[in-house]
Order: sequence, then structure tokens, then C-alpha cells
Amino acid sequence: MTDTTTGSTTTAAYADATQVAGSGEVMIELDGVVKRFGSFTALHEIDLKVAKQEVVVVIGPSGSGKSTMIRCINRLEEHDAGRIVVDGVELTRDVRNIQEIRRETGMVFQQFNLFPHLSVLDNVTLAPRQVRRMPKRDAEALAMELLEQVRIPEQAKKYPGQLSGGQQQRVAIARALAMKPKVMLFDEPTSALDPEMINEVLDTMIDLANGGMTMIVVTHEMGFAEKVAGRVVFMADGQIVEVGTPKHFFTDPQEDRTKLFLSQIL
Amino acid sequence: MQTFLTEDLAVPPPEPPRPPTAGPADWVRRNLFRSVGDGVVTVVAAIVVGFVVFRFARFLFSTGRWEIVRTNLKLFMVGRYPADELWRIVVALTAVAFVGGLIAGFVARRHVVAGTVAPDQPVTRRLVALVGRLWPLVVGVLLLLFLSSSPGPWLTAAAIVVAAVLGRLAGPYLPRRSAVVLVLGSIVLAAALVWFLTRPVGWDRWGGIMLNLFLATAGITLCFPLGVLLALGRRSKLPLIRAVCIAYIELFRGVPLFVLLLLSAIALGFFIPTWLEPPGLVVRAIVVFTLFTAAYVAEIVRGGLQSLPKGQTEAAQALGLSPVKTTFLIVMPQALRNVIPALVGQFISLFKDTTLAGAAMGFLDALQVANAATAQDAFRGQRLLAESLGFVMLLFWIGCITMSRESQRLERTLGVGTR
Repeated sequence: MTDTTTGSTTTAAYADATQVAGSGEVMIELDGVVKRFGSFTALHEIDLKVAKQEVVVVIGPSGSGKSTMIRCINRLEEHDAGRIVVDGVELTRDVRNIQEIRRETGMVFQQFNLFPHLSVLDNVTLAPRQVRRMPKRDAEALAMELLEQVRIPEQAKKYPGQLSGGQQQRVAIARALAMKPKVMLFDEPTSALDPEMINEVLDTMIDLANGGMTMIVVTHEMGFAEKVAGRVVFMADGQIVEVGTPKHFFTDPQEDRTKLFLSQIL
Repeated sequence: MQTFLTEDLAVPPPEPPRPPTAGPADWVRRNLFRSVGDGVVTVVAAIVVGFVVFRFARFLFSTGRWEIVRTNLKLFMVGRYPADELWRIVVALTAVAFVGGLIAGFVARRHVVAGTVAPDQPVTRRLVALVGRLWPLVVGVLLLLFLSSSPGPWLTAAAIVVAAVLGRLAGPYLPRRSAVVLVLGSIVLAAALVWFLTRPVGWDRWGGIMLNLFLATAGITLCFPLGVLLALGRRSKLPLIRAVCIAYIELFRGVPLFVLLLLSAIALGFFIPTWLEPPGLVVRAIVVFTLFTAAYVAEIVRGGLQSLPKGQTEAAQALGLSPVKTTFLIVMPQALRNVIPALVGQFISLFKDTTLAGAAMGFLDALQVANAATAQDAFRGQRLLAESLGFVMLLFWIGCITMSRESQRLERTLGVGTR
């Protein structure tokens, strides 16, 4: 397994998933993370380091453990072994640690998961007000700023059910950003969208990446990876099979599984 | 393949365009007498409906002897509550109407602020809308007023309306953060009113539809929070809490309500130490209704909780909301909204089941009044049970239809803009 992760022929700078790019300051560290569902092992000792301000795109066939991996990072799934450290805080059973990491980690879901009984504005202000105890006025100002950033300030008074899929997903991004997270996790953010709405969401994410946000993005949008990803991680059967720059994946994938997968999605 | 499909589906040929001057005769021909079979069904149904309507109207306007209701109106309404103390009921109703109006006004202002309701509708249109909304209640009250033979009920109704209007006008001027105060105030007021109404007369003289309404209101307000807690407890991760909740729910759903009422009326004495004064029958009835209905409410709410996609909880957790806040800000509001119809059905059921308390515990509730009235000297042996039972049915129907219509309205209001 470690053999595949450290395939000898990958680009030198990204020889393995535990090396980090840029400043070298580590934001997220996964060390031998194992996750089992009953007798099924979803993650086999995953090692991954993500640097501050880095964008990592995770690809792989369905069931390969991509979603499980990022869901472990904010404890939507509890890992069974290994270490997960986010911005210096290790994820343990301690509820305070979990809450602290969740506050610093924004997540965007495939199905948006907006709160349908709250208006767009209330969706965005909810967490700052309830978790950060921000006064209503400040929270609303912040929310309008963020809605502006995702280019839908005019929808603030509407309810999620009145918006298109693309708009809902952008609200979901604004909602996650309202907690001023240090890391953003994206779990197939465009997979549930109609094709014509994918770009509006990707553009928002590209803006975010260019603004220096640390991001882990599970997606098959290789165009997005090409534009902003520092590294692409290919996963299969709960293991990291290959790591490299987007260019590496387009021009020179090493593993047979990677080649097969890329030939199917590109 | 194509032809086969078309034939197989047997699409009827498009109807020839109707002549533009289709009058009522044409409508009748098309809808009631299109074929011989249609005609037979129409005629038979018309005969049956006509017969029933005729007999009912004859009973209502001709053969029915409604003196029994007119004479016993007070008994039907408030049972044997002493006439000298009736003013207490007037005061209580007026206070409730005022607070009700206050809350309505407060809520309305919040809707206006939130932009879900257009402000500044003309008063006449609002009145028409309100009467259209509550017409069964309005018609029922007017009927009662015309049946009454004294000015008291008219004055009471006037006081209630004035209090409600004053409350509604004052409501919008309450400070914005009054919600908690209003809720706590309502609870305190309710307790004070119960004390005020029972102090001189005790529970024993309560009766009539007032008793049914009181039992139902108390039961509903108390069983709802208990049911919600039980539903949450049944989903708890702690085995002990879960086991206790499941045991409770299955126990109370597994025994007949009537048996519980009888048991609490007769057998409670065995379980209470002699030095402790046993609670009155009305209190026991409320406790039984609360415990019993809470089990059903718990299962309904649990259904609502399960209907929510897991993503809602996950999104709330991912934002860092605590489990308690996730439950009460995200999960519960949506779950409860989804189960309003079932919940209100349960409450309606509870209201009607209050007649069982009369039968089991010997209260003079509306149903028992209906029975007792036919045994009075003036009406004995005259077979007037249909009249008095019919009147009780009407009283209950007004209550139930109002609850049902208000719940539908609530569903629509809460459904604004959601999926």
C-alpha cells in the first residue's frame, strides 16, 4: 500500500501525499487514518498532508473512500485508527476538540443541505449567531457581504426552495464561509447540479481558491483541478493510489488504475 | 412497434370542441346523463340524498323539539357551575381573549417585519377574511346566542370580542423581544385562571362543554412537550433513556384510554399513601389524558424526525452547532411542520375522548348533560335523546372543524417558500 502511495516515478516535488507544497506550513494532517463500516474497510491507513492555502482535488471511482475521508476530517464520520490534525488541533473523542475543528472547517455538500425552513439570510447568519455569538446586525452585514461574494445578494429574503440548484449551492458556500473557516471541504459540490449551473459554482470556488483558502475538493471536474489545484489525489478502494500535479495526471499518469479511471471521466 | 403502442394505450379520440353556448342543460347532460348507467346512478343517488336531506331538515325545523336544548343551555355550557359565580367564567374568557389577541397582534407584526405578509390591509377585508376563516365558530356562537334567553351570554360575547380586538391592536406595539415574556405570561395566566375558577366552587361543579374544552386544552398543552421529549428519548444514544421511553410509549399505547380513566378514578387510592390527599377527579383525568396522548404524540414526532434527510443534521453539525441547538433549531422545526396533520388529528381525537372521562368518572360533561337532560321531569319519556345528542355533536363538531381548519392554515403559513 505504501508502495503505491510513494510510486517511484511520480513527479519529484509531489512524490508522496505526505509532502506539502508552498510555505510548508501544514494545515491538515492525516496519519494512518483507518475507517471501517462494520466489516468493510472504507479507508486503509490514509496519509495526507495539506499545506496552508493549498487546494487539493480528490478524484476516484465511487466507493473509493473520497467522501469518507473528508467527512472524517470534521468528524461527520469517526475514524477508527490513525491521527487527524487540523490547524494544530488533534481530533479526539473530546467534544470540545470536535467543536473547535468544526468551527474552523467549512463543508459544502453534494445535496446542498440548506435549511429549508430558514430564509437564505437566516441560513447564512445562523452559525455565526448561534456558535460565534455574533450580534444579529453584524451577522447580517457579514452574510450580505458573503452573498455578494457568491453573487446572489438579491436572493437574501428568499427561501432555499425558491432558488435554483446552482444558487442553492452558492448559498451553501456562503453559509460555510460565514464561520470564517480556515479550511473548506467540498464533497462533490457540482454532482447534483444541472450542467448549465456547474460553472457558476465552480467560478465561486475558483475565486475562493485564488483568495488563499485551504481547500480539499472531491470532484471530477478536471477543468477546475487544472485551474487551481496544487495537487490531485487519486483514490481507489480506500487507498491513495497516486498523487501529482494536475498536469501530471493529464500527461503522465503512472498507475494502471489511474489511467483506466481518467480514460473513463475525461 | 409504434402502432402497437398507440393501440395498446387506447388513447380516447379527442373530444369534439364544445359549442361555445354550453348552458346548464348541456352541463347536466354531459355530467349526469351521459349514458344509461350514468342516468340510473344519478337518479338513485338523487333519491337517497333527497330523502336524507328531507328527513334531516324536517327533524331540524319541524319535528325536533329543541326546548330541551334551550332550557338546559347553561347546563350544556358550564354544567352545575353556580350562577352567582358565572362572572368568574366571563372574566377568564375575557382575559384569554385579550392575551390571544395580544399574541396574534405580536405574531402578525413579526410576519410584516419578515415580509411574509402584506401590511396595511383595509379593516373590512381583514374582518371578512377572519370570519371566512372562523365561520364554523362564528355560526356556532351566534346560534348559541339566539338560543339563550338572557342578556348574559350576549354581554359575555361582546366582552370577549372587545378584549380580543384590544389585544390585537396592542399586540404590534409590544417590544420585539417579548416572545419569551408572552409564553411565560400565558402559563402564569393559565394557572391563575384555573385557581380563580376553582377557588369558590372546587372542581366538582365544573361541567358541560366547558369541562370538555378545559380537559382538552390542558391535555394538549401538557402532552405536547412530554411527547416531544419522549420522541427524542426514544432516539437517544443512551440505552437506559431509550429503554424507559420505549417502555413508556408501548405501555400507554397498549392499553385502552377508558380503562386508564376508570383505573385512575377507582384504583388510584390504593397507590397513594393515606396521609396524602388524593388529587381530584378532574386532575386525574388531565393526568391520564396527558400521559396517554403523549405516547401517541411521541410516535408521531418520531415519524417526523425520521422523515428528515440526514444531511440536515450533518450540515448543522458541520457548522459547529451543538447537538441541542441542532435538534431545536434545525431538526425539530422541520419535523414538527411535517407532522402537523397527524398531530392535530391526535389533538382532535383527545378533545372528543374527553367525553369518555365523563362516562368513566361521573363528571357532568356535555355528553352526560345530554343524557341527564332527557331524564328531567319536563322531558322524561319523550324520546328527546336525538335532540340533545345532536346538540352535543354540533358543539364538538364546531371545535374539531375549527382546529382542523386552523391547522391547515398553519401548514400553509409555515410552508411559505419551503419545498
